[in-house]
Amino acid sequence: MASNIPGTEEAREVLKKNKIVIAGVGETDQGKIPDMSSFHFLSQASKLAIEDAGIKKSDVDGLVTAFSLVEHTFMHCTTFADYFGMKPKFFSSVAVGGATAVWMAAEAAMAIASGQAEVVLCVRGDNTLSGISSSGMLALIREMCHGEFEYPYGLTTPGGYALAAQRYLHDYGATREHLAAVAVTMRKHAAMKENAMNKDPLTVEDVVNSRIIAEPLTKYDCSIISDGGAAFIVTTEDKAKELGIENDLAYLLGMGQGYSHQYMTTLENLDQIYNAINRSGQKAFQTAGLGVDDVDLAFLYDCFTITVLLELEGLGFVPKGEGGPFALEGRMEIGKDLPVNTHGGLLSQAHLGAMHHVVEATLQLRGDAGPRQVDNPEVALVHGNGGIVSAHSTILLGKEPLS
Amino acid sequence: MSEEKTYNKPLPDFRPETKPYWEATKNHAMVLPRSKETGEFFFYPRAVSPGDDMSEDIEWVEASGKGKVWTYAIHHMGPSKAYKGEPPYVVALIELEEGVKMMSNVIDVDVNDVHVGMEVEVVYDDVTDEVTLPKFKPV
Repeated sequence: MASNIPGTEEAREVLKKNKIVIAGVGETDQGKIPDMSSFHFLSQASKLAIEDAGIKKSDVDGLVTAFSLVEHTFMHCTTFADYFGMKPKFFSSVAVGGATAVWMAAEAAMAIASGQAEVVLCVRGDNTLSGISSSGMLALIREMCHGEFEYPYGLTTPGGYALAAQRYLHDYGATREHLAAVAVTMRKHAAMKENAMNKDPLTVEDVVNSRIIAEPLTKYDCSIISDGGAAFIVTTEDKAKELGIENDLAYLLGMGQGYSHQYMTTLENLDQIYNAINRSGQKAFQTAGLGVDDVDLAFLYDCFTITVLLELEGLGFVPKGEGGPFALEGRMEIGKDLPVNTHGGLLSQAHLGAMHHVVEATLQLRGDAGPRQVDNPEVALVHGNGGIVSAHSTILLGKEPLS
Repeated sequence: MSEEKTYNKPLPDFRPETKPYWEATKNHAMVLPRSKETGEFFFYPRAVSPGDDMSEDIEWVEASGKGKVWTYAIHHMGPSKAYKGEPPYVVALIELEEGVKMMSNVIDVDVNDVHVGMEVEVVYDDVTDEVTLPKFKPV
């Protein structure tokens, strides 16, 4: 384990004392659903999570939302509170790209631990596939890259990740097949998930030979665009008992963040990315008093295949450069060394940031993952990355509280 | 933008503090910002040195315009309709001799010949009457 990170002892005490849990989860249908708006998805997902917990809407006193790529609002959380009909005591909109969902859980925990709220609804939803315009897509790219020194050169979002991927292939002698293997594993898992968008079997050759989007990334190296919503309820063990919640609880054991750069122009080298991922992970591990060997299943942000390899390596599951062979040997599959994204991830289930990662981790720990169920998992790691592998957040969830 | 030219691709979102950079490129020269206090170059240009000095005392130094491809992405799809007919094109991060990186296009080359470490030098693309974008070609 790395040297002691300041703050982890304090974080551990806070989580141990409060016993923060995820007590309910909900997922709407995912796919192309053109007759539903962004706020409709948010509401439906929230309802499902509240019902899953078996509580009333009025029991919820905190709200954390994300953002919409379609329906831009200045104050997303309160706009949704109004739409859904709630008056939360604590409210916040988190916007750290793909790191958002994971950090929503952490922010809810911090709010609860400091007495701002007792039951926090965390929700994200969007009609990205049906609702986004081409100008909206362009605006997204513009927000990802530097408007003055990058945007005029025609960078796309896949292109940004391709810059990282190309350098990764160069530095570690990795191949397109290594990247492709990640997509193949995600597809296998998606085949077992009811609401997954893409379930048709995929081979490494299919991925490598599919349409090139931004070399070295092909169509199947890129995550899908989807409509849908997901939500989860964060509270404490005590409050869950008080409310009569019957679900098995997923305990928050650790949390951490790591940042390396915003714009690719300011990225010095790949180690900067690895270090940010590692810092995020280590902060979570040290808070929990756990290490990589304790993790039974991992949820790694898979907006593009390259991010899974960088995270596998950065978090310390495998040495640098060895994520590709690990993927190609099928070692991320259910039943193997480290099951990764058992729901099919962003590459095959649906793209809603890491919301589905958090939901699936909870379901797995509860033993509610149906045909995808991993054999008695104790600890799950969830990692999100925002920007072009630039902003990271990690949480560790467990079946048992910190002791 | 003059009326006879139709350039539909994104143009830089200028900030006031970067004026020397864009004035230089218009004159087909490249200047890079450097903190007078530390003597360190930085990129992208901004009003405050990103180093610990946080200095607003910034000088603009003529650059060699030479560098190497640090990484690249061959775009087979552009971000908007304005790029129709353009792909494949290369977006690259160029490591300049001065030690900073910048994003640009590598042009005047078969995209399949571009590689990490390729030596490149700056060329100037007058995309409008007002804006000149520095791009790179193999040395």
